Amino acid sequence: MKKFSVASLLVFLLGALIAVGSVSFLGPCVHEDGSFGVCHWAGQAMLGIGILLAAESLFALLCGDRRMRQGILIPMFFTSCLGSLIPGTLIDLCHMATMRCRALMQPAMIILFSLSALISLIGFFAEKRGARGRAGDRP
Amino acid sequence: MSMQKLPLQNLLRRPGRTLALTLLTALLAFSVFGGSVIVMSLRQGLNSLESRLGADIIVVPSSAQSKVSFQNMLLQGTTGAFYMDAENLERVREVEGVEIAAPQVFLASLKADCCSVKIQVIGFDPETDLFVRPWIEQSYTKELGDLDVMVGCKVEANIGENIRIYDERCKVVARLAPTGTGLDTAVYCSMDTMKTLLKAAEAKGVSHKVTSDPDDDVISAIYVKVRDGYDISQVNSKIQGHTRKCSAIRTKSMLTDVSDSLAGISNTVTILIAAIWVLALIILLIAFAMIAGERKREFAVLRLLGTSRSILSGLILKESALCSLMGGVLGVLFASLVVFPFTTLIETKLGLPYLRPEISSIILLALASLTATVMIGAAASAWASFRLSRVDPGTVLREGN
Repeated sequence: MKKFSVASLLVFLLGALIAVGSVSFLGPCVHEDGSFGVCHWAGQAMLGIGILLAAESLFALLCGDRRMRQGILIPMFFTSCLGSLIPGTLIDLCHMATMRCRALMQPAMIILFSLSALISLIGFFAEKRGARGRAGDRP
Repeated sequence: MSMQKLPLQNLLRRPGRTLALTLLTALLAFSVFGGSVIVMSLRQGLNSLESRLGADIIVVPSSAQSKVSFQNMLLQGTTGAFYMDAENLERVREVEGVEIAAPQVFLASLKADCCSVKIQVIGFDPETDLFVRPWIEQSYTKELGDLDVMVGCKVEANIGENIRIYDERCKVVARLAPTGTGLDTAVYCSMDTMKTLLKAAEAKGVSHKVTSDPDDDVISAIYVKVRDGYDISQVNSKIQGHTRKCSAIRTKSMLTDVSDSLAGISNTVTILIAAIWVLALIILLIAFAMIAGERKREFAVLRLLGTSRSILSGLILKESALCSLMGGVLGVLFASLVVFPFTTLIETKLGLPYLRPEISSIILLALASLTATVMIGAAASAWASFRLSRVDPGTVLREGN
């Protein structure tokens, strides 16, 4: 039995990057006076989803059973899709395209979540193929 | 297995080698496509700025040069508000050689008003203006009503939505076409709306008065078009002498500054692309030379089996072309992921006009980058394929023993 899933490892790294990035280098606008705009909440939501994605993928990484991993990759895909809809679609951002939340956070997060969704989907089909192959091996 | 499938099978059999060659060619495609898109966007931005400025001379208050650079305002969308007596407009119109003189009034909104950031409001006179109007007419042809505003493409407000400027609720009636300049971050309104906004700003303690008389009108800039046959420099000097506390700036000198900066960036990008290509070509040549040494026995066996020299040459060329094609597609895709979603960020960081080219130009550029990558991959493997096709099977196989 294959005990290691490359897709889960990659999604774990992406989830961790999203979580860390949403509060640091890819985070929302920081105002000089300490106040924050609506994009702050989008950043908080992405922090939560990033942590959730990292936790799901960690569980898939530690899981030895192929079918179980396959099962975890499905919510990982949908969590990633949900995450990509957060900045600008589900939670509004600042009203100026030149601001950090729109110029950096939104495109970066959409790319990272989309990559995560794509990898989860590929991982799901790879695990499915592997599981079918193993079933075919049985006498 | 047929000889047609052999190149692909060879690539799949050595995934490590294939991956390394693919990544190397991906770097080539990434650099040429990404770099070219940036340079093209900068050129497009400069053209857009030229057509948007339209005027030959721009007259601004002398204080504008120290308060906020007028050039920064146009290029980067930095907010600025400076005023001069509206009488200067008539003075400029009196100067011989002036064909059109159109006023504009600038106002910077408060940070918390609508956008969590200061926004530049520009009032223009639709009756006399010949510089902003052609651009605006691409998006909106009706007359502007009281408190109707039009927003630049980078202001995220939808048509019909209300935005608050100094507690005045202004209705967005149009979103303007992108120009790639600081004009995209501004809000445009008629002079009547601007007067209302100036009063509202005054009530909030933001003064715009230049004289002690509260009824005196103010303007921020005068865009001047010089009549045909007149020397722009001479008209510029006359305006300078005829107006009070004003600076007349020739737009050509402003464009020359931008053009110089653009040339600097363009040269840097070109040198970087050339350096990456030379480096990658050397690495590819070394890689293929090593592969040629490693695969001598394989080719010797193929020769013994009756494969012709031309087929053996073609085999290596096909392998490298396939690798380069995969790398090219990967490089173009990755460059697209970096360059297009982060257009605004690149524009902000460069501080120069930046306008994305047409989709047809981008597709052509992508195809050209792919072709160049495949050709360079094939050219790098040409020597290796020549050497391998000329191996002496007997000698090579004896060496192995």
